[in-house]
Amino acid sequence: MNPQVVIDGLIAGSMIGLGAIGLTLVYSILRFPNFAHGEMIAWGAYFAMSLSALIGAVIGGAGAPIAPFSFGWGLVLATIIAMGLTALLALAVDAVLFRIFRKRQSVMIIIVMASFGASMALRSLLEFIYTSRPGYFTRELQIAMPLGGGMRATPDQLFALGLTALLVVFVHLLLTRTPTGRAMRAVSENPSLSGLFGVDVDKVIRTVWILGAALACAAGVMSGLLVQIRPYMGFDLLLPLFAAAILGGIGSVPGAIVGGLIVGLGEALAVQFVGAQWRAGVAFAILVAILLVRPTGLFGRQA
Amino acid sequence: MSAPVIETRQFIAGYERDLPIVNGIDFTLAKGEFVAIFGPNGAGKSTFVKALAGVVPVFGGEAFLNGEPIGGLKPHAILKRGMAFVPQTENIFTTLSIHENLQLAAAPLVRSAQGPAIRRMLDMFPDLARQSGRLAGSLSGGQRQMLAVARALLLEPSVLVLDEPSAGLSPKLVSDVFSTLREISATGVTILLVEQNVRAALRIVERGVVLVDGRLRFDASAEALSSHPDLGALFLGADHASEGAA
Amino acid sequence: MSPEFLAYGAFFLTMALTYAIICLGLNVQWGQTGLFNVGIAAFVAIGAYASAILTTPDAAGRIGGFGLPIAVGWVGGAALSALLAFLVGWLTIRLRADYLAITTFGVSVSVQLVALNLVGLTGGPFGITFIPRPFGDLAGNALAFGLANLALVAAVVLVTYLILERLVRSPWGRVLRAIREDEIAAQALGKSPKWLRIQAFTLGGAIMGLAGAIQAHFIGFIAPENYLPMITFQVWAMLIVGGSGNNRGAILGAILVWALWALSGQLIEATFPAGSQARAASLRLVLIGVALCAILLVRPQGILREVRTLSRHALGRKQPEVSS
Repeated sequence: MNPQVVIDGLIAGSMIGLGAIGLTLVYSILRFPNFAHGEMIAWGAYFAMSLSALIGAVIGGAGAPIAPFSFGWGLVLATIIAMGLTALLALAVDAVLFRIFRKRQSVMIIIVMASFGASMALRSLLEFIYTSRPGYFTRELQIAMPLGGGMRATPDQLFALGLTALLVVFVHLLLTRTPTGRAMRAVSENPSLSGLFGVDVDKVIRTVWILGAALACAAGVMSGLLVQIRPYMGFDLLLPLFAAAILGGIGSVPGAIVGGLIVGLGEALAVQFVGAQWRAGVAFAILVAILLVRPTGLFGRQA
Repeated sequence: MSAPVIETRQFIAGYERDLPIVNGIDFTLAKGEFVAIFGPNGAGKSTFVKALAGVVPVFGGEAFLNGEPIGGLKPHAILKRGMAFVPQTENIFTTLSIHENLQLAAAPLVRSAQGPAIRRMLDMFPDLARQSGRLAGSLSGGQRQMLAVARALLLEPSVLVLDEPSAGLSPKLVSDVFSTLREISATGVTILLVEQNVRAALRIVERGVVLVDGRLRFDASAEALSSHPDLGALFLGADHASEGAA
Repeated sequence: MSPEFLAYGAFFLTMALTYAIICLGLNVQWGQTGLFNVGIAAFVAIGAYASAILTTPDAAGRIGGFGLPIAVGWVGGAALSALLAFLVGWLTIRLRADYLAITTFGVSVSVQLVALNLVGLTGGPFGITFIPRPFGDLAGNALAFGLANLALVAAVVLVTYLILERLVRSPWGRVLRAIREDEIAAQALGKSPKWLRIQAFTLGGAIMGLAGAIQAHFIGFIAPENYLPMITFQVWAMLIVGGSGNNRGAILGAILVWALWALSGQLIEATFPAGSQARAASLRLVLIGVALCAILLVRPQGILREVRTLSRHALGRKQPEVSS
């Protein structure tokens, strides 16, 4: 086996994992699988692309690469603003769509359908604005550095891995150590009791959208940096995201990232041993396997 | 005299607008009182207190907490105004530790007041203090009820409302819970309680009201209710029969 | 009216009716049973490919070429799609309603993948051509060919409709509705909701597979790009516009939405220059997505009311207690 599989798998897996964290939080706290979550990834990437172009145009030198990476501080700034914009987008979709169903106490499956419709609209809107031609943050080419053990990675890839690790630790600490996280766990177990405990449930829901969208944007920027930016980039990630969230156990942040890494490694293995064209089937195979063997997931509590 | 702690006028609530379960209740609870709500199954007892606490939609009438209107407010807003409600079941977070349950309940307080408030509750319920790191889901039925009460008292509410705190507990635990409630009442806390366990409850409360078909039918002191000749007829069937056991 | 116009009308209506069949299948799953299928495209594709492989003549580099009669293809398509639906149902319906949605979505991605990459069976991106068409010997006369096919497909719609109407009123249909309304009561009667749901999901899958086969034979060629998630959106829009739970509504909704779809497509072709047509087409998809959400939002009385009774139990939501 080519050890490079490990690096490829970890990189693909960290993007899936970051996206899956948002998905799993929405799933456990708002209690529906959000088919429009992939769109947050794509919109996040496009926000960052437009902003970084804008910043580059206004401030010369913002696009100049910070060695050894391929991108300049303009993209870093653009990503931070894009995270905010993606969060606003998620809040807006919630305000015009999901919140209304919540107020009506609609059954979950109606909300799932609505998220399905929203994903179509949001994705096609991206295609309308940016066309389906792929976009890139940077045209710089990077040389992969040897890491030992026959593995190589570009500085950008290592940066993505490090950033993922940082974000995961941040979210995990937020959830386990802070009052906000405690309130989120409470709403996830029982929203109506949370209100009686004094938790402002609407505020918790807003926090979940902001957090999920910001992480999705980060995943989108990474994917755009390492691969490319396309309107379908989020939709194509959706099945791996679901597989990772269910594999990790819905509601579990460590589960989502571990699930993401497993799916990513599985995809890398499939590319090496079966053929790159079958890569997209790995997530489905993992999904079916976990539903057969352990539907509550690796870190899930009994439903 | 100051405003009553709870006051409702023609209060209407339920799950569907065209099918209200609570149908025009006028009720008053004065400061420091200890009152129980009785009634046959389906009379609307639970729905009434849930609607007061903001968990069940209110469709009509008015409700006041210390003179402030609370009809239609969200549960967390009603809690902030001084009413702590303990539901009958699922009244603690089983996936959080005991300490985390109390921390969550203390969150509305300013940061410096949170620690002392939690400590006060742990002092009051030493059973909980001994295992505060454990998941609340591992507690026994009686201990869960104590945690639920502790969490509700933590914010020093002006009124404590409980929905059938004795349901599902053994007779020994029922009397434990009731004596705890009596002690709390003795410290001056106003308590409103929904109970099926009529005879046991009448021994601790000062006043009882009886709901039938979503309306208030009787309102009398515990003594008067205990000796009322027609009372048994109001607590239908199984409920009446089970009283002997309690 | 000119014969060309009539022939086009027949073609249009035949296509619309094939969608009506898919819609009837979805109505068994969603309208009668409350099961959410996000992978309609996959079940249609399976029916189309199975029938095509069974009926096409020998082709170089591709397994198949059995050259069987079209009717055998239809049955085979329906059967294979039913098998897939059964497996998916068996895997997920015992778990949670939302897992069915996610898994059917996965099925649609995977079937698309197989259609693209299993070149030896499916022809890969180029698909399968020379699928025998019913009344192929009439092909010289566009009008006669069109009308004959329209009659055939209309007959299939009618028969499917009548069978489903009978089923709805049969004891089976009544129990299905009963578990939709109140799972616990149905269980008390000794009915296993799980098996009934799997049966309904399988039946719906079979109907979708049949529709896929009919479509494939009517058009004469298939390719993976015909089975993108778009179909799933369209069919959902059809059922919701028509009114879920109602078989006549399903047929009507299919014709209506298909008409709007075809019309808007022609409008785009006529008004936009060739360069920006792809863009305009994506705007059309935005509208269909928004329309799906809007219908769900603004017509709670029709669809949602019916659905709401379905599922406090069925979907694991707690019924509010009215204990005292």
